[in-house]
Amino acid sequence: MGHFHHFDTLALHAGQTVDDEFGARATPIYQTTSYVFPDTDTASSIFNLERGGHAYSRITNPTVAVLEQRIAALEGGSAAVCTSSGMAATFCAITAILSQGDHIVASSQMYGGNISLMKNTLPRFGITTTFVDPADIEGFRAAIQDNTRLIYGELIGNPGLDILDLDAIGAISKEHHIPFMVDATFNTPYLCRCLDHGANITIHSVTKWMGGHGVAIGGVIVDGGNFDWGATDRYPTITEPYAPFSGLNLWDEFGPSAFAMRIRAEAMRDIGPSMSPMNAFLLLQGLETLSLRMNKHLSNTKMLLEFLSNHEQVSWVSHPDLPSHRSHKLAQKYLPKGAGSIISFGVKGGRDAGKAFIENVGLASHLANVGDAKTLVIHPATTTHSRIDAEALIAAGITEDMVRLSVGLEDVRDIEADFENGFRAAKKFVGD
Amino acid sequence: MICPPKGGIIAAHNTRKITMGFSTRQIHAGVTPDPLTGSILTPIYQTTTYVQPSVDGYLSKGYSYSRSGNPTVRALELKLTDLEGGVDASCFGTGMAAVQAVMLAFLNAGDHAIISDVAYGGTYRLCKQVLSRFGVEFSFVDGSDLKAVAAAVRDNTRLFLTETPANPTMKCSDIAGISKIARAAGAVHAVDNTFLTPYYQRPLELDADVSIHSTTKYMDGHNATVGGAVISARQEHADAVRFIQNSTGSIMSPQVAWLTLQGCKTMSLRMDAQSANAMAIAEYLEAHAKVKQVCYPGLKSFAQYELASRQASGYGAMLWFEVKGGLVAGKKLMDNIKVFSLAENLGSVESLITHPVTMTHAAVEKAERERVGIIDGLVRVSVGLEDVEDLIEALDKALAQV
Repeated sequence: MGHFHHFDTLALHAGQTVDDEFGARATPIYQTTSYVFPDTDTASSIFNLERGGHAYSRITNPTVAVLEQRIAALEGGSAAVCTSSGMAATFCAITAILSQGDHIVASSQMYGGNISLMKNTLPRFGITTTFVDPADIEGFRAAIQDNTRLIYGELIGNPGLDILDLDAIGAISKEHHIPFMVDATFNTPYLCRCLDHGANITIHSVTKWMGGHGVAIGGVIVDGGNFDWGATDRYPTITEPYAPFSGLNLWDEFGPSAFAMRIRAEAMRDIGPSMSPMNAFLLLQGLETLSLRMNKHLSNTKMLLEFLSNHEQVSWVSHPDLPSHRSHKLAQKYLPKGAGSIISFGVKGGRDAGKAFIENVGLASHLANVGDAKTLVIHPATTTHSRIDAEALIAAGITEDMVRLSVGLEDVRDIEADFENGFRAAKKFVGD
Repeated sequence: MICPPKGGIIAAHNTRKITMGFSTRQIHAGVTPDPLTGSILTPIYQTTTYVQPSVDGYLSKGYSYSRSGNPTVRALELKLTDLEGGVDASCFGTGMAAVQAVMLAFLNAGDHAIISDVAYGGTYRLCKQVLSRFGVEFSFVDGSDLKAVAAAVRDNTRLFLTETPANPTMKCSDIAGISKIARAAGAVHAVDNTFLTPYYQRPLELDADVSIHSTTKYMDGHNATVGGAVISARQEHADAVRFIQNSTGSIMSPQVAWLTLQGCKTMSLRMDAQSANAMAIAEYLEAHAKVKQVCYPGLKSFAQYELASRQASGYGAMLWFEVKGGLVAGKKLMDNIKVFSLAENLGSVESLITHPVTMTHAAVEKAERERVGIIDGLVRVSVGLEDVEDLIEALDKALAQV
C-alpha cells in the first residue's frame, strides 16, 4: 500500500492487507484473547519484542492493528497505539515519558477531562502542570521550567474554540527540546495534520469525528517519529535499558517508533487500556467516510453559522471561521477547509432561555458527546459545568446563556426548523 | 459445495471415526487456529466479498460472496456437522429459515409431506399458510403412532418432518421407526432436534437423514442471537439444502455464527445443569396440590418415558404443567411469577415461562390445538440455569397466589 498517499485512499486501505487465507475484502474481526504459537522460539521472540506478532489481545490484536496503521498513515506518523478511550490515550502518552518530578506546560483551554487529569490526577504521582492561555505564545516559553518534559494542547480548544498556533509553539518545543503533544480530536487529520506543524505526538478520541457514528469509545496515540529522544538524557523511559525486556533499549531498537513501542511495552502490558477488536472494526468502518462526513459537517456548520448569526434571539455566536473570533487568522492558516463543527452561541434571556432552548429542541439530541453524525446540543451552565459558580464559569469561558452545538449530518433545513422550536420556547425569557 | 473443510478434528468425522467426547468436540470441532496470526478463535469475517487471486483462480480459496459462504459461518457449520455426526451442514438466519430450506429442498408442487402433529406453531403456519399456496400437501400425523404414520404415506410423499420432543406438548416420536417408514417410502426424514441438541439426541444415528435446529435455543444458550442449522447425513441432501440456501439467500450472519460458536462450547454443561433443574421442578410441581398435571419426559409418569429414555440420553429442560383452575389460574400464575420471565424463546440460561395458546402457537387453529393436546391452561416452562431453590421458591409464591 506504500505507494498510495492521498487521504481518501489511505482512509480506505492503509493498514489492511487482504487476508491470505480467504481473501476477505473487509478486515476480519479478531475477537480472540490469544494466539497459538507455532513453537516456543517464536513465542519467546514475540514476547521479547524481537519480532512482530501477536501474543495476547491486551497488547496487540490484528483488527486493532489495522486501525492503528491506518490512523498513523492518515496522520503521517511512524506508528500508533489504540486505547480503550481518548482519556486512556492521553494518560498513557503522558506517563510513557513523564515520571515523578516532571512538569507539563499545557493550554488552559482544553476538554475538562484533560484539565482534570493534569490538575488533579497527575499531581498525585508527582507530575505537575502549568496552564497557559493558548493565545499567549510567550506565556508558553515563560512557563517552561528545568523539569518541563512536555508541551500539551488542543488544536481547537474546548470550549472557547481558540486555535493553538502550532508552528509557534512547535518552535518553542524545538528550541527547548521538549516534545509537543497535540490533542487533535476536534480537527482530525483531514482538517489538519498537526505533525506537519511542529507537533511530535497527536492524541485523538476516536469516539468523535474519526469514528463518527457515536457507536464506540476509543482513543489513539500517534507517534510522529520526529523527535530525537536521544539528544538529551531527559527521556530515560525511551533511551535507557528497559529492565522488563532484558535491558532492551527502545531508542536504539525502534528509533522513530520508540515512543509508540514504550506505550505498547509498558502501558498496554502493565496498565492495559486496550481497544476491543469489535470497536476497532466499527471505528475502521467510520474512518472510511471521514472526509465525506467532515465536508458535510463543515458545510452544515457554515449554513448554521449564518442562520444563528442572523437570528434575533441569538446574542452571540462563536466559531473560529467567523471573522469576529479571536483565532480567526490561525483558523485560516491551520484549518483552511473549516475549523471544525462545534459552534457555541448565546440564547437571549440568559440561563433560563438557554435551558428552555435545549429542552424544546427535538431533532438535536441533548447529550455530552461531540462529533456524532447526529446533531448534539448541551447547555454547559446547567450540565457539565453546573457545579461551578458564575465567576468560575467566566474564567472557563462559559456564559450562562451558552449553548454548545455539535453540528451533525442532517439536512440543515431540519436542524434550523428544530432550532426554531427551541427559540420559540426561549422567547418568554427575553427582556427579563 | 464451495466451502472447504478446514482439517483438524473435522478430518476425523469425515472418515466417520469420531473418537473424542462430546464436550471436547463442542469446543474444538470446526475451529482451527487462524493460520495468519494464530488467533485461537475463528475471526469474525464481517465481509461481503473475497478478493480472488486471478480469474482462473476464482474460488481457489473457497469463498466468493458471503451469501454463498463465509469462513466464520463455515466454522459453525463444521462444528455442528461434527456434533450431529453428519457429513455437512448449512446455517441459516433463523430456525424457521432452516425448516423452510429443508421443505424447499425436498418438496415440489404436487408433493406430499408428513409432519408430526405437534410441532412449533411457526412450522405449522409455514405448511398451512405458505407452502400450501405452492401446491404442496401436508398431513399432520401423531408421530408416536407408527401405524398412523405408515397409513399416511402416499405415492407422492417426499418428506417426513418430526419434532421430538414436540413443542409444547413434549410428545415424543419414534425417530428410528419413522426413519424406517420414510426409507421404505423413498422419502427424506428430517428431525427438528432443537429441544434436546445432539448432546442428548442424535437423529442421524437413528437413521434420520437431516437434523434441524433453531440455534437460537440451546446452542446459543444466552438469548443473544437468532439462527438455524440443517445438518445432513448424506452429501446429496446437504447439497440440495445448500443450493436452496444460495438461491433463496437465507443465511446466517458472521456475528451470529461467532456468538453461537462461543455458546456451543458450554452446551453440554448447560444442558446437564438445566435438565437437572427441570427434573427438580417437575418433581416439585407434580407434588403440588394446586397443580393438575405436569409433563416432563424425565418423570416416570410421562406417557412415553420408555421411548424418551431409549432414543435420547437426557430429557432436556422443557416441561409444561396445568394449574387447577385452568386458563384463568394459569394466567394469574404467569402474570405474578418472579425470576421466570414471561417471554417467547426457550433454551436460554434465563428461565422463561410461556403461554403457547396466546404466544408461540397462536397460529394454530383452536380445533387443531385441542386435537393435539395444546390445552388452554398449558403453561410452558423453559428451565434456565438459575439456582433451582430460587426457581422453586418463585413457583411456590406464584402458586400460592392462584
